[in-house]
Amino acid sequence: MILQALHELLTPVSLLAIFIGTTSGIIVGGMPGLTATMAVALLIPVTFALQPLTGLLLMGGVYCGAMYGGSIPAILLRTPGTPAAVATALEGYPLTQQGRGGLALKVSVVASFAGGMFSAFILLLTAPLLATFALKFGPPEYFLLALLGLAGIVSMAEDESRLVKALISGLLGLVMAVVGTDPISGMLRYTMGITDLYDGIAFMPALIGMFSISQMLELTGEAGGIVTGEPQLDRLKREPLPPGIGKPIALGSIVGTIIGILPGEGATIAAFVSYNIARRRSKKPELFGKGNPEGIAAAEAGNNGCVGGSLVPTLTLGIPGNSVAAALLGGLLIHGLIPGPELFTRYGVTTYAFILSLFIANVIFLLLGLFMAPYFARISLTPTALLIPVVCLFSVLGSYAMNNSIVDIFIALICGLAAIVLQKTGFSLGALILGLILGPIAETGFAQALIMGHGSYAIFFNRPQAVILWLIILLLLVPPLVQIYQRRRRRSDTA
Amino acid sequence: MRKIMLLLIVLALAFPGTALAAYPEKPITIIVPSKAGGSTDTTARLFIKAAKKYWPKAEFVIKNIGGSGGQKGFEEIARARPDGYTIGMIFTTQVVAHIVAKRARYTLDSFHIMGNAMQDPLIIAVPAKSPIKNLKDFVQAAKAKSLTAAVNGIGSDDFIAAKKFELLTGVKFNLMPTRGSTEQKAMILGGHIDASFMNLSQLQAQHKAGKARIIAILADKRSEILPDVKTAAEQGYPVSMTATRGFVAPAKVDKKILAKLDDLVQKVNHDADFAAACDKGVLFRLPMTGPEYRQYLEQLQAEVQKFYDQNPW
Repeated sequence: MILQALHELLTPVSLLAIFIGTTSGIIVGGMPGLTATMAVALLIPVTFALQPLTGLLLMGGVYCGAMYGGSIPAILLRTPGTPAAVATALEGYPLTQQGRGGLALKVSVVASFAGGMFSAFILLLTAPLLATFALKFGPPEYFLLALLGLAGIVSMAEDESRLVKALISGLLGLVMAVVGTDPISGMLRYTMGITDLYDGIAFMPALIGMFSISQMLELTGEAGGIVTGEPQLDRLKREPLPPGIGKPIALGSIVGTIIGILPGEGATIAAFVSYNIARRRSKKPELFGKGNPEGIAAAEAGNNGCVGGSLVPTLTLGIPGNSVAAALLGGLLIHGLIPGPELFTRYGVTTYAFILSLFIANVIFLLLGLFMAPYFARISLTPTALLIPVVCLFSVLGSYAMNNSIVDIFIALICGLAAIVLQKTGFSLGALILGLILGPIAETGFAQALIMGHGSYAIFFNRPQAVILWLIILLLLVPPLVQIYQRRRRRSDTA
Repeated sequence: MRKIMLLLIVLALAFPGTALAAYPEKPITIIVPSKAGGSTDTTARLFIKAAKKYWPKAEFVIKNIGGSGGQKGFEEIARARPDGYTIGMIFTTQVVAHIVAKRARYTLDSFHIMGNAMQDPLIIAVPAKSPIKNLKDFVQAAKAKSLTAAVNGIGSDDFIAAKKFELLTGVKFNLMPTRGSTEQKAMILGGHIDASFMNLSQLQAQHKAGKARIIAILADKRSEILPDVKTAAEQGYPVSMTATRGFVAPAKVDKKILAKLDDLVQKVNHDADFAAACDKGVLFRLPMTGPEYRQYLEQLQAEVQKFYDQNPW
């Protein structure tokens, strides 16, 4: 059946569909505010006119391309094209400032490719098996998973010995996440009668404000481009991949695939968790936050690992792994392809051709990315007088386009101004965003788990999968705290 | 000359219909109050495809306004310029639940109800491994101990169905609101909860594959795609509940345009190709004319009001 699928796939029409899908995916992913979910959904009516397979290939290509595309503006402009690229921005932008944007882009595309390939392999070989694993996760585990993500706040802070400020930032994010409809009682909280706030503060506009608008405001003081000092075009082009990059890539691929498989959990958490673990395990943790390629590698392998992972429960159980997969599921249904065992038997040729196309899409963006990296990197040399208005325009457009909401534009602008103050006073924007994104997941998981346990807290401890998550959280939290404590003691000893 | 002009103006004002003869002469926007890719969105897209057959020159544009349980989209339809170039979709029970909860900036009178197109009956599902096989077992188990049942948010069709079931049988569920059907599906398939009230289309494939069990469909008759599942009434518990998805226009649109639009909805509703496309995409048709649908909505609103008064949210 796989051979037959390959036969279907290696036709000019199919290959063209994958190519167009991937390329437009990169563009969509690269524009803040345009998301892969939106692109896939917009393609559904287009696929009416096409063969089911051709339509699927287009959508698969868009999905793969967009996940990678989000990293390009994250690295070059500190403007994450997708929320999943925030961790990439934390490491990639400092590299761009040092004139090493080309390298950062290269690392990102290679890591994205590896993560995407790995997860597609897993999808191809073990999809039904892994689907059962995904179902083991219930509300208590989702709460713990959100905690796992929030644990990243601590490691974001340790080297700056700004733990308290990072924690406050995280808390601020959690407080912002309270706005909206209470997930359990349905009551409105701090929405001030604005319908646009009923679903909470949309995090894409907040993200655009905090990262891209604030960045542009800061750049207004500079005369040249983003790169400080002499631009080194040569170096931009030819810097080889740094050694030791393999480990974080492998780690990110595995973590990304696993988190991708869990229904409802997104690439954002995957990217942050792999980034955090890579930071813990790195030999040079002090370089993190100042432009460490290892961080980009882990984060990008992580969010692209989600692509194949999220399709596991989508195709086998009909439970979409995230919002893009949900839109893709809509596309499958409209062609009468109903997820479940039949998809792998009766419609096997189409399904396997679709899975195999993910490999091709990955190869396409790898080649495109490697080829284009030096050209993209030149963006960092653009004079600020040109760069600032263009980026601001796209930021405003992107904030609006997300939900067709004017309120969102104001959210972006307010967040942009607030971000400057917070950053100047040493608070961590990464921690704030983490709180904002993970707050609702943690809250819903916590409340649902308590309902499930009929009010008893034992539910967080008496399930084996929950216990394992507690262990991982402890492993991530204890070492940095011990380090900070030791450093304190040493300092007070010398004083 | 002036008199003739005046006459012309008076005539133009008296018979605005003459200017409308060419309707539609520009694209008609259909507001879909949910994210792209969902079943309401799919309904709108299939509708457009079928509508082109009857209005070959008309152009339609879909505007997705998701979030806040559809409220943002419903409000936008109610507020839209009543020139007939903006129409929209509504879905139940949310459209009336927002009114009942005093959140909505519209009432049913803000809309001209064009008609209903789709429905998605409610079902009660349990995990595949559950010892519960039918409603009798279910009620017995619920009386023995408090069963955890997932619904999609407070005020949703699932929630009202669960409340109706409680009212009829006197049992009390440990209700767990979720963020949507994806979560409900994962919890049922993973066996994290005892039961879930959800829509037929969301779980029929899993039931067929043996990964979950639908113990009852809350409709007047069995579904063609799952003929083995008994209705609740057949099992002695006459509860019925369905989610509907219909078309509306702002109330103040010109009557002649509305008549044209009503006619279009009815034509599409009974179009053979449209029906075939719905069957393929697992959408269940429930054609209703404007007045029929309006009556349905009013009844539903009264019903939801009853539950809200007992226990406001």
